[in-house]
Amino acid sequence: MSETVVVGAARVGRFATVLIVTGSAILAVVALAAIFAPLFTGWGPTEIDPLGTLVPPGPGHPLGTDANGMDVWSRLLYAGRLDLGIAVAGVAVAVVAGTALGLVAGYLGGWVDDVLMRVVDIFQAFPTFILALAVAALVGNGTGNLIAVIAAVNAPAYARLVRAEVRTVRESAFVAASVTSGASTSGVLWRHVLPNSLTPVRVIAPLNAGWAMLTLAGLSFLGLGVTVPAAEWGAMISLGSPDVVAGRWWTSVPPGLVLLICVLGFSLLGEGLQERAEAKRR
Amino acid sequence: MSPVDPDLLSIEHLSVVIRRPGREVAALSDVSLRVGRGEVVGLVGESGGGKSMVARSIVGLLPGGSHATGAVRFEGDDVLRMDDDALRRHRGHGAAICFQNPRGALSPTRTVGRQLTDRLTTHQRLTEAEARRAAEEQFAAVGIRSPRRRLGAYPHELSGGMAQRVMISLATGCAPGLLIADEPTTGLDVTLTREILRRFRHAADTDGRGVLLISHDLASIADVCDRVVVLYAGTVVESGPAARVLGRPAHPYTRALLRSVPDVDGRAVVATPGAMPLLKAAPHDCPFAPRCAHATAECTAERPPVSRVPGAADDWTLACFHPRTDELAFAEPAETPGRATAAERAVLEVDDAHVVYRSRFGKGGHAALRGVSLRVAAGETLGVVGESGCGKSTLAKLLLGLVSPARGDVRVAGSRMSDLRGGELRRLRTRVQMVFQDPIGSLSPRRTVADAIAEPLRALGLPAARRAERVEAVADRLKIDRSMLARRPHELSGGQAQRVCVARALAGEPDVLVFDEPTSALDVTVQAQILEVIADVVRDPARGSVFISHDLATVRGFADRVIVLYLGRIVEEGPVDEVFGNPRHPYTRALLSSAPSLGDGFSGPKVTLTEDLDDTDAAAPGCPLAARCPFADDRCRTEEQELRPYGNTRAACRRVPEIPDLLKGSDIRV
Repeated sequence: MSETVVVGAARVGRFATVLIVTGSAILAVVALAAIFAPLFTGWGPTEIDPLGTLVPPGPGHPLGTDANGMDVWSRLLYAGRLDLGIAVAGVAVAVVAGTALGLVAGYLGGWVDDVLMRVVDIFQAFPTFILALAVAALVGNGTGNLIAVIAAVNAPAYARLVRAEVRTVRESAFVAASVTSGASTSGVLWRHVLPNSLTPVRVIAPLNAGWAMLTLAGLSFLGLGVTVPAAEWGAMISLGSPDVVAGRWWTSVPPGLVLLICVLGFSLLGEGLQERAEAKRR
Repeated sequence: MSPVDPDLLSIEHLSVVIRRPGREVAALSDVSLRVGRGEVVGLVGESGGGKSMVARSIVGLLPGGSHATGAVRFEGDDVLRMDDDALRRHRGHGAAICFQNPRGALSPTRTVGRQLTDRLTTHQRLTEAEARRAAEEQFAAVGIRSPRRRLGAYPHELSGGMAQRVMISLATGCAPGLLIADEPTTGLDVTLTREILRRFRHAADTDGRGVLLISHDLASIADVCDRVVVLYAGTVVESGPAARVLGRPAHPYTRALLRSVPDVDGRAVVATPGAMPLLKAAPHDCPFAPRCAHATAECTAERPPVSRVPGAADDWTLACFHPRTDELAFAEPAETPGRATAAERAVLEVDDAHVVYRSRFGKGGHAALRGVSLRVAAGETLGVVGESGCGKSTLAKLLLGLVSPARGDVRVAGSRMSDLRGGELRRLRTRVQMVFQDPIGSLSPRRTVADAIAEPLRALGLPAARRAERVEAVADRLKIDRSMLARRPHELSGGQAQRVCVARALAGEPDVLVFDEPTSALDVTVQAQILEVIADVVRDPARGSVFISHDLATVRGFADRVIVLYLGRIVEEGPVDEVFGNPRHPYTRALLSSAPSLGDGFSGPKVTLTEDLDDTDAAAPGCPLAARCPFADDRCRTEEQELRPYGNTRAACRRVPEIPDLLKGSDIRV
């Protein structure tokens, strides 16, 4: 009669934390390995081993050498600098530019909104990768240009995301309260609308960084991104792809795996942030 | 174990503790109550008291992480220990819930008819055609006109009252033994509230259902309930026949609740300090003791057992060591200082303002205000009342400059709002400040309390040090603890947040304060506290105030003058005692007649309007009330009505002189 009835265990709130920690840990390991690459390898990223090309993994070269006789392990480590750097910087620029556009369009509305959103429409009318190819072909490669490419193809999505959020937030009572307190438009935007519109951006940005790495690798694979001899995973896969058929897996499989792990890290981080945002909303 | 004729519902010593990582809440502690067939039981108390948890336990919907002990017996079977099949049958036939927000509880993409017939075909095993016929009957039974047409309507096409009626038909559709209504009338107008509550009484009287009516609004449910159960912090503090519990309560908390409710008869509200605790474990003392004037050492040492009220013959029980048996004393009606206003400085003037909301596509639009003129002098408080859709909120927005009038103008402290731009407009805006309905929603979630209060000061260009000084001064005046200044809105209770909002409104020393339903989102005892704060604030002689509310009782306590809005027009205007004591316009009389009251209420002859607001055509010529007014004749339907003076009030009705005679002839009792 007096025994306790327990209704379904509450969903564990720590799940989000596990995701975030795991994702961050993966990315931290890759980033640290890239930054401190010289500690883990004796070879430079573009240094050629005169003794042999396509040497299988062994004592001198833990992951063998590629067709140019460069050490795959060392290139793998150094490539993280370019890959992570360009992807994160590109997404950061996209977030800032897209958020600014979305904020202005969403808050002001009217013709400003119409004009900005039509421009966004034009960008979004093309498949992301085709657009990236076109822009990359137009501006040429080079680190700065690649960051610009990544930013250009991703900014429109943020503009749309933030605009939608701003349109909800601007109707809220606290914005009306601020306006009636005599606050200026820029004050309202900066102090009230912006901080309350960023939740979806925080969730999407890490996921987006993962996709950006894939875009970058894809461009490099096609020869429009980073080109050999610079160390970059997409370029490494491109260079090593003919070897796979001949059974020489070590030139292209490791960069592919590292790429996969990085994207996974970003995805876990994004998922975790989303879980946390949802848990907060409940 | 099962008795021969068990009660319909009998909750026995139910305790629910919700355990979640890092959080533990004793939602219910040893709650016992019962509902018989044909009986309407009111479950009252403030939010967080466990009302909804009781409702959820009855339909087996306790939230995840709940640890429940005791029993919820429905016709003898324990709902807590039912298996899935039994529970499904129980939810269809046994007990059904009407939710608080009917439009949210109806699926937006299916017609309301389909939602009802779906239930009928699954639970009653009717064929499609039978179900449609039954659905039509159901709709008619809950007072939906042209039910056949409404069956094909989507939820967004229905007004709030209509949606609540549909919700009731959904709940009663499968002939449940017990109907649970969770705050069924929150957000509805007074005239509708009565009507909806009568539906529940009807379900109990004619169909012999048990009804559990959950509400925080004591005055509304007083008439329809047989018995009342009062919850506080998850415990039952008092329970008994409605007339006794609400008429001469014995528990100090019930008394505090009743004294906190404003009444149309104008009696003063008495606030009880403090707030309901959120208990982590079942209490070992009286949870009300810290707020109770009668508490002794005994009250904090052990939990008072449930016992019969001394001298009461029937099932009137309470959990208190010191039951009160004397008459519940109310304060005298608050003295509204009769201030001569005409000669004083006007801080706010609105002249023949029209506001039209244009539809984005095509022409036309919705006229929210049609020629409103008003004047507020310094030191004066103007009350604005009316049902939802009458233009109250638009008027607030107009005063704040959030919408601009299509015609007419608004002058604040002598300057016309529409003349100014940029910085000058911003400075003028700081002269009018508003306190919003939803206190937490009107504070930016990511800004601290101090930041929020300083907002108008920032606009005035005060340096940071002066701002901080001023914020502390205002916080002290409103008794906001200094430690609260660093907090963010989600850490505040509703009452604390509303105090902060009042502080923000006051910070820049505005000329006009606008209160837009400032207490309707708050709990009863907290509402009384905030009303005290507002009463203090509006007394400042340098400032004029506008107090907007759908609740006539609240307005009566404050305002010097009142205007009554109907469909964007002022239908009556005058000194508060005159308008409430001797209403000239039939609409004002109807509003007062249906205002819920625990006291004497409105004493004059009463009037009911014939139709819902949403069924009348606002664009029709003649008096806008003509379609609903029992006194309307042909001239009313064709002639525009203007405000004309009657005594010291003004009313927009040509038949005012005849109305006393008309009322004598047909005293239309509600």
